[in-house]
Amino acid sequence: MIETVTNKLNPQVLPHLQVWGWEVPVYLFCGGLAAGLLVISSGILITRNEANFSYTVRLSALLSPIVLSVGMFALFLDLAYKTHVWRFYTAFVPTSPMSWGSWLLMLFYPLAILQAVLLYEKQLESVGALKGLIGFFRPWKKLLAFVNVHIGSGIGVYTGILLATFYARPLWSNSVLGLVFLLSGMSSATALMLWMAPEEKKRFYSLVDMYLLSLEAFAITVLIIGGVTGSENSHLAMMNLITGNFAPWFWTVSLLGGILVPLSLETLETMGKVRFSPITPALVLVGGLSLRFILVFAGQANPTFF
Amino acid sequence: MSRERKYAMIIDTRRCVGCSACVFACKTENQVPEGFCRDWVVSITKGSFPNLSLVNRSERCQHCEDAPCVSNCPTEASHYQGDGTVQIDRDLCTGCKACMAACPYDARYIHPDGFADKCSFCSHRIKAGLATTACTQVCPTSALKLVDLNSNDGQAEALLRGREVKIDKPHAGTKPKLLWLL
Repeated sequence: MIETVTNKLNPQVLPHLQVWGWEVPVYLFCGGLAAGLLVISSGILITRNEANFSYTVRLSALLSPIVLSVGMFALFLDLAYKTHVWRFYTAFVPTSPMSWGSWLLMLFYPLAILQAVLLYEKQLESVGALKGLIGFFRPWKKLLAFVNVHIGSGIGVYTGILLATFYARPLWSNSVLGLVFLLSGMSSATALMLWMAPEEKKRFYSLVDMYLLSLEAFAITVLIIGGVTGSENSHLAMMNLITGNFAPWFWTVSLLGGILVPLSLETLETMGKVRFSPITPALVLVGGLSLRFILVFAGQANPTFF
Repeated sequence: MSRERKYAMIIDTRRCVGCSACVFACKTENQVPEGFCRDWVVSITKGSFPNLSLVNRSERCQHCEDAPCVSNCPTEASHYQGDGTVQIDRDLCTGCKACMAACPYDARYIHPDGFADKCSFCSHRIKAGLATTACTQVCPTSALKLVDLNSNDGQAEALLRGREVKIDKPHAGTKPKLLWLL
């Protein structure tokens, strides 16, 4: 044994001891986006006449499990013991949000894929194996969409709750985080739909996104107030976020660039003052991704629980 | 009926000289990979010159009675062993790091082989009937003692009697089982 270091080893001394790297924020973003796509497309399926659907709703339902798979791949890359990934499904631990999430994802995939198949029934009916499936579930399409609104919301909230239950990391230990990530995932999904939508449908998605971005801004405000007025641990962690090394990114990229600027642009676009631009949804998506990165990294930085 | 054990560690900060023998003993005994440690020594200096006081504290996993690493582990890899210790089943561990994020004491690390690792109170030695850990056995000032809080041998009571006892981060509500004598 030649090593002579005997003091406390932590991520501030040795960065390789950091808990989570880029993979987890990417997973949380993709999970939220996939959940949002499922919730919004299911909501439209329940409330609107399918005959009037544009390709956007169908494409969103199809994209939802695909985007989730991208996130799951990132999460897989984060696992230190990759060949043991199946161990998530040999136990159910009610006190572990990660366990809940693992099992909830097992519900998400078949139901989201089934909904996508039903929405593409005209194209898929000729596939022999799917004909019977489509015929069986067609009468239950709205009920399936109703269930999917809840499954999607569950996954959206889960991406925040996963962090919020770690009270050892006071920045994350805030129950509003689940709501923030749900709303952020839904606004990102609506922004993506706005991007994909044909010109005549853009106003609808823009209005929905304005509503969701406003709610997200409100939820983030509550998150900040809750942290600043919380215990000494929570206070210092939140002050580190809003005034420390991450603050410039948090204020400019996540809040100003990811919420306030696109909210203003969407207002002008829906009023017809300016043309719909792909820059607006791109800003929302970049803002949503940056929010996950900043919260995951800031949550692991000083000051930790003391 | 056999009595259930409840292992804890009592650490006398007045005896500890911060020599780090406990760290080296642990690294050797448990083949801890280079760059990592299961225990470590914290030296805290208080006051201003010339009125300074120094406290050395040998730290490791607290083997909490209400351990957030156990409750957050999605695969039951982190578990209570029944003798008051918290252990990791390497066969069940996925390396998801939820336990690391959950631990208020930052006691865990990811072993280069992929599983979460930490102090086990030398469970292999306890199972062999040694009733000492590598760190307690090597400590030159007898500052570290592994005790069974459920035992009737009076060892824990004798060590604690008349001494101020500190536990780390009691507000975390984890009921830690490292007891520092001030």
